[in-house]
Amino acid sequence: MTILKDAPPPADAASADVAARAPRPRFPVDKVAGLGVIGAMIVFGLHALSSLDFSWSSIRGSIDNATTTFSRMDPISFPAFGDLVYLIGMTVGIVVLGTLLAALLSIPVAWCMAVDTSPAPWLRWLGRTISVVTRAVPDVVLAMAFAMAFALGSPIPGILALGIHSVGMISKLFADAIEQSDDGPRRAVRAAGGSRAQEFWSATFPQVLPAWIATVLHRFDINLRVSAILGYAGVGGLGYAMRIAFQQFPEGYGRGLGIAIVIFVLCVVLEVVSSTIRRHLLGTDPAGRGIGGRIVRAATRDRSREASVHESAITEPARAVTVDQMLKRPWTTTRVRNVTWGWGAVALVGASWWWADVDFSQIHWEYVLPMVQSFWPPSFGSYDFAVFAQAMLVTIQVAFAAALLSLVLSLIFGALAARNVAPSPGVRNFFRVTLVVFRGVPELVLAIFLIMITGLGNQAGVVALAFGGIGLLGKLIADSFEEVPRGVERAVTTTGATRNQRFFASTWPVGFRALVSNSLYLVDTNIRAATILGIVGGGGIGFYLTQASTVMSLHGQVTTLVAMVVVTVLVVEGVSTWLRRVFR
Amino acid sequence: MNSTTTSPVISVSKVTKRFSQTRALHDVSLTVNPGEVVVLLGLSGSGKSTLLRHLNGLERPTEGTVEVLGQTVPELGQKELRALRCRVAMIFQQFELVPSLTVLENVLTGALGRLRGPRLGLWSYPRALRLDALAKLDRVGLLEKAYQRADELSGGQQQRVAIARALMQNPHVLLADEPVASLDPESSAQVMRLIREIAAADGLTVVCSLHQVDIALGWADRVIGLRSGEVVLDTRNEHLSKTQVMEIYRGLDPADVADLAALDSELAGVQLVGTAGPGSVVA
Repeated sequence: MTILKDAPPPADAASADVAARAPRPRFPVDKVAGLGVIGAMIVFGLHALSSLDFSWSSIRGSIDNATTTFSRMDPISFPAFGDLVYLIGMTVGIVVLGTLLAALLSIPVAWCMAVDTSPAPWLRWLGRTISVVTRAVPDVVLAMAFAMAFALGSPIPGILALGIHSVGMISKLFADAIEQSDDGPRRAVRAAGGSRAQEFWSATFPQVLPAWIATVLHRFDINLRVSAILGYAGVGGLGYAMRIAFQQFPEGYGRGLGIAIVIFVLCVVLEVVSSTIRRHLLGTDPAGRGIGGRIVRAATRDRSREASVHESAITEPARAVTVDQMLKRPWTTTRVRNVTWGWGAVALVGASWWWADVDFSQIHWEYVLPMVQSFWPPSFGSYDFAVFAQAMLVTIQVAFAAALLSLVLSLIFGALAARNVAPSPGVRNFFRVTLVVFRGVPELVLAIFLIMITGLGNQAGVVALAFGGIGLLGKLIADSFEEVPRGVERAVTTTGATRNQRFFASTWPVGFRALVSNSLYLVDTNIRAATILGIVGGGGIGFYLTQASTVMSLHGQVTTLVAMVVVTVLVVEGVSTWLRRVFR
Repeated sequence: MNSTTTSPVISVSKVTKRFSQTRALHDVSLTVNPGEVVVLLGLSGSGKSTLLRHLNGLERPTEGTVEVLGQTVPELGQKELRALRCRVAMIFQQFELVPSLTVLENVLTGALGRLRGPRLGLWSYPRALRLDALAKLDRVGLLEKAYQRADELSGGQQQRVAIARALMQNPHVLLADEPVASLDPESSAQVMRLIREIAAADGLTVVCSLHQVDIALGWADRVIGLRSGEVVLDTRNEHLSKTQVMEIYRGLDPADVADLAALDSELAGVQLVGTAGPGSVVA
């Protein structure tokens, strides 16, 4: 308005005048601090790489070691067909039941956590605490502790361990889904005189159900990969069989590797199955924007087209029906499909119960209470704080070193896997598939590394974690680049910018924030994974955790160590939240 | 309850509502008699929706009090409030149906206030209620759609489902918050006619917020005008002149000129009297 009234200033004086009138940019204290923190973390990662003796010579040493092992072992072999079916059934059964248990436990936790449904602030706090703590306590530690009260090889510790640990992630995502749901239907139920519980089950639950199922299936895939490691804690199934096989050298190695291959194939097959289920049952995939999400979105598009067909049918004159006739719900294709999937899920759970061979008589009830009590009070045992802190530092170093390696490689892989950055669709698809393969193996690679490279050092651990990290981070980076609105990029292109200029002018600034938070998410995951790594034979805090969790009198140390992991994870999460706000 | 014909169904006295900094309602008083069909007319931000939400206790007044069906709303406990809400139905601008549920199940949620405990799935509702819900759907002309997902229906149809859900409460009072603001003119007319018919047939008291002057004038028994949270007009429809209606929209900030211009075109054919023309504001 004012500009219109003002006469335009003379052209020669314009530039000086504008410079004088322009507002001075505020010094971005928070951004500089944020970059400083990021820089410090990168330096820490580099330092960790060098202090963990991460050199080519040590890697070559490990590779030599692996080669020798490979040359001395028996040829790869598989268990007899019947045994194999039994083992697969048991593993799948444990994972299904564990994941289901976690899903059920997560409903009240998520209800407490989500802003829209939480009845009181203290309950939100409680829910978040449960979520963070269960996420931070490694499932392997839980399994080892629970194994005290059960026979070795029993499925129950595994089910409980997965069931409790998975609550952390599932409840978080459940709560996110609630917070993303529309508040309107809840208000409508409230206005009709509904209670809080009625509001939840009538208005919230139907809205979030698709997202919840997607979350549970996603966690199922993760838990299946984890189950191999649970075998090392004495949980029955393929992982346990693999551990037994690898205990004999060299004759067991061929068998062990054979079982590892079975686990890998099982993971890939069930990942395909679970994404197919998601597609059929939901028609939406709020969680993923990768290849799966793409397929699913294609399905969603079909569905909306279907919906528009209904819309056009609306104008047809209504057939004469009576209220009584309509009391019977017609068997439409949708209903048949939903009912089939519903009963299929029930059948799967029933079968899992049978496959997993759950036998409550295996529980030594007299040990349960002492076992729970043994975790309190926390203690340092014969060690002191300095020892544990040093171990924690090693674990953090492994996590950061691995994250840094992953970051560098995933930036390349992820960028080339992003539609709007990759030079051609062929390149994009190649790198997408590569990332899927990387992601499909992490814990397994880890396990094989442990066994192949005798006396697993932290370097091998870093490589194993970095390998899996590329799969995860690369995908997240590719997704975040693809989420950059196309219009923005097109706008930059119309100015005559080159491909690189476009990347740095539009794609990078938008993707940077996601990059920072995803990298920190990787550090967070890595800290937990590095802990587990220690449990199965590496160093760091996991070493002490293993020692302590197998002996009941040392359980106080488990509490201390877990508390240290929780605090570390919380600090990383805090930094991540802060950085996300700074680079908003 | 003292539901004698003479005592008002709704009486709002000296209600002021503040949200931290902003004042949504200022010293609002009004009464609504049984069977009256009242429109709250005003621009967005004038406080219509806030006032409406006070009537079923979705908001509590900062000052003043609200009485509905003989109950003092701000003083009610959770249980009594729910009992009151059972008899005061509400429909919304965005319909607020659960998109993934069937139409029938959405209608059945209207009965939740009468039922104990949470319900999930059609079969968790008694057969009698299911029959009743189908009858309500028949009444709004959507019996055929009973087993379709709510989000497969057009906007006008969704609002009619919402009306069926409101009817499920067998209400005494119907509150309608901008019921046709998201609908095209044809669906709007259909929905407004439906509300009027149902109000007449069931003897409902209706309070409906609107911003479209033309709809309000042809439809309501009585129009209450709100501006910046204050009642600036309260008159029976037959006494109402266009001049009075335009008073509601006077004294606007220049920022509201666009709104006013939109209103102006809405009132095409109505002679503008007064000084609130777009030209005078810009000057």
